Amino acid sequence: MSAARGPLKGRAARLGRLMPSGPSSAARTPFVLLVVLLLGGGLITLLLLNSALNQGSFRLRELKDRTTELTDEEQALQRDVDAYAAPDALERRARELGMVPGGSPAFLGPDGKVLGEPTVATSPKPSRTPSRAPGRTGDPARAREAAAPGASASPKPAVTGTAPTAPTTSGR
Amino acid sequence: MPSQEPPRRRVPGPARPRPAAGSGGRTPRPAPRPAARRPAPRPPARKPRTIKLGSPRPRLRLISVGLTLVMLVFVVRLLQVQAVDASAYAAKADKYRYQEYTLSAERGEITDRNGIALATSVDAYDITADPKLFTAEESKLRDAPEQAAALLAPILGKEPADLAKKLRTPKSRYTLLARKQTPQVWNQIKDLRKVYAQKAQEPGGTGVNLLGGVLSEPSTKRVYPNGDLGAGILGYVNAEGRGAGGVESMLDPELAGQDGKIRFTASGGRQVPTAGSQGTPAVPGSDIELTIDRDIQWAAQRAIADQVQKSRADRGYVIVQDTRTGEILAMANAPGFDPNDLSAANAAAMGNAALQDAYEPGSTSKVMSMAAVLEEGKAAPDTHVTVPNRLHRGDRLFKDDIDHPTWYLTLNGVLAKSSNIGTILATGQLGKDQAESNRVLDGYLRRFGIGSPTGLGFPGETAGILAKPEDWSTSQQYTIPFGQGLSVNALQAASVYSTIANGGVRVEPTLVRGTKGPDGRFTPAPKPGENRVVSEKTATTLAQMLESVVDDREGTGTKAAIPGYRVAGKTGTANRVDPELGRYKGYTASFAGFAPADQPRVTVYCAIQNPTKGSYFGGQICGPIYKKVMEFALKTLHVAPTGSASPRLPVTFEPTP
Repeated sequence: MSAARGPLKGRAARLGRLMPSGPSSAARTPFVLLVVLLLGGGLITLLLLNSALNQGSFRLRELKDRTTELTDEEQALQRDVDAYAAPDALERRARELGMVPGGSPAFLGPDGKVLGEPTVATSPKPSRTPSRAPGRTGDPARAREAAAPGASASPKPAVTGTAPTAPTTSGR
Repeated sequence: MPSQEPPRRRVPGPARPRPAAGSGGRTPRPAPRPAARRPAPRPPARKPRTIKLGSPRPRLRLISVGLTLVMLVFVVRLLQVQAVDASAYAAKADKYRYQEYTLSAERGEITDRNGIALATSVDAYDITADPKLFTAEESKLRDAPEQAAALLAPILGKEPADLAKKLRTPKSRYTLLARKQTPQVWNQIKDLRKVYAQKAQEPGGTGVNLLGGVLSEPSTKRVYPNGDLGAGILGYVNAEGRGAGGVESMLDPELAGQDGKIRFTASGGRQVPTAGSQGTPAVPGSDIELTIDRDIQWAAQRAIADQVQKSRADRGYVIVQDTRTGEILAMANAPGFDPNDLSAANAAAMGNAALQDAYEPGSTSKVMSMAAVLEEGKAAPDTHVTVPNRLHRGDRLFKDDIDHPTWYLTLNGVLAKSSNIGTILATGQLGKDQAESNRVLDGYLRRFGIGSPTGLGFPGETAGILAKPEDWSTSQQYTIPFGQGLSVNALQAASVYSTIANGGVRVEPTLVRGTKGPDGRFTPAPKPGENRVVSEKTATTLAQMLESVVDDREGTGTKAAIPGYRVAGKTGTANRVDPELGRYKGYTASFAGFAPADQPRVTVYCAIQNPTKGSYFGGQICGPIYKKVMEFALKTLHVAPTGSASPRLPVTFEPTP
């Protein structure tokens, strides 16, 4: 056999390799099955991957829409808040409640001392307020804006109790 | 296998001469060849039919040459594509493979000193349309533009005829129906479009959605929640969203931020999910915090707007400044404008006149002359000044605002009664001769900040006009002491009073407290420069003198008095140079002052240009504004009265016969 092989070297050997190498009837079924399985498995994996990606992109889209929606809502609400909080609007609403702008400020010190000259606030244009006895309820309190005398002194918490009665100037 | 051996053995025959031909480089194994050549008995093995097999040699050679050539062409082309023109092709490929988008940076907010937004950006949509889809052929309706316009008009708040005209634009595929609409408006249109899409699919429908050609483009809109409040300071943005006036323009680089970019692999216009993306994220702009207090600004703006209207004046300004820090708490202009709707704004009112107008301040600048006289030690508040009815100086005959018999005033009285003649007489003492007096006065004026920019860097700000003392004309050298013949802007004038209120130290006015970067860190603005103008003693004396203006029965500023407080102030009624005529016509009424006089916290300056109805005296029309704004500021800042008594410096003296 080895003698017969000898001449098969070189070009002949190379060409020979291209020829069918005889009836090798090794069991083909497992191999075919393997290939089918591999191909099928690959296809299914791809399909799953694709649908997972799509699902992700749907979710992304959904969340983006939701973000936009919420941002829009937030901005719309902020617009409403701003409209209510604008000084002009506050002043108008205060007037509707019967309030009038306070005059010169007066301060009530922690020791009960009054700084400044408290006066009764009067409506500069009484004709503008439609209701009878405009601002009668708030008048005496309005003239006195309570705070600690001198900003350098630490404001006493007790004093702030009286402060909220004087929002006539639509301040903070 | 053995059956195939004979033909195979025969095959090597033709190959024998090949090594001799010298084209041996083809086989990787040259070693067996000599061995194959040695067995001599090959020629007899040849049979006639093998000759046919010998002829493939030139054919093979031809083919191999051909293949080589083809390969060579390929190699050359490969080199060209991969090496020579590589970058150009790569760029071309990238263009198709990658998509790039600009991520627009969010513009920063402008807030007041308490963080209340004065200018902010919100999402908006430009509503556009494709007019081609509204033509009779596409929509299968004769009056599609009119029908669509009738539907859209109430939502967009426009005239149906205008919209229909836009939708009828011939040979166009794009028209802008409305700019910067809120997302709610676009949602409404979208809902409507959906309804019509369903309608079109119904049996009786045309099959074409009437509103199918209405589209939108996302955009952002600059919103000023408080409308015209502080509009002069804030400015406005142009159609591209860049600052075009006021702080928006002054600090545009900080506010604008930096646009980012995103680049991703795309296929069919969609992002390839696995390929990832790269780019730089957008850097949002910084938030600017102003020194403005929104409420004080509102009070100032309302007060000045009312008075300007009442007096039928050209315009007016109010400036409120913190005397200790130099921070501007309010800077109001009237008339103003609404930056939310620039189309309705009057172009002349769109600037910040308080900084952009230069005008002659009039008597409010007498306080600088008095500061010079006191600081130089030439006079004291009780120095006697005899004020005649007329005074001849240079080429002119000077008079006071009213005819009066000879007044016997103290220096304090000269200021309280705002006597021009008294001021000329007092400042005449500043130097040995008039020229030296001019130089000394000029030095003080400049140290008070007259003739130089305020340091805000505000766009369009004027530095005012103050000539060099050697260039002062004959009349100017007598008018400058009482505030004519020099020009200032309102902030410069306010700053003079803040300087006196701050014990003679001038703090440069500031408008910006700091910026909050995208990282949320607050960077305070640099500390403003300070320089001493007059001594503390002079400043205190001046404050007391200014009190006489308001609290003395004979003072010109009694309308500015606030019960319970010690108020220092000065009126001004100047002849006004009409900018159109170029000569004096009309008046500038003004009032400046601070409170509490002994522990000043707030300076308020008010000026009204060319009041034509009612009084034109500063004390009469600006005094009440000063009072209103000052009261509001004192309340807002919780400044209590000091409770001390005013010194009540004498105004007049009894002449010794």
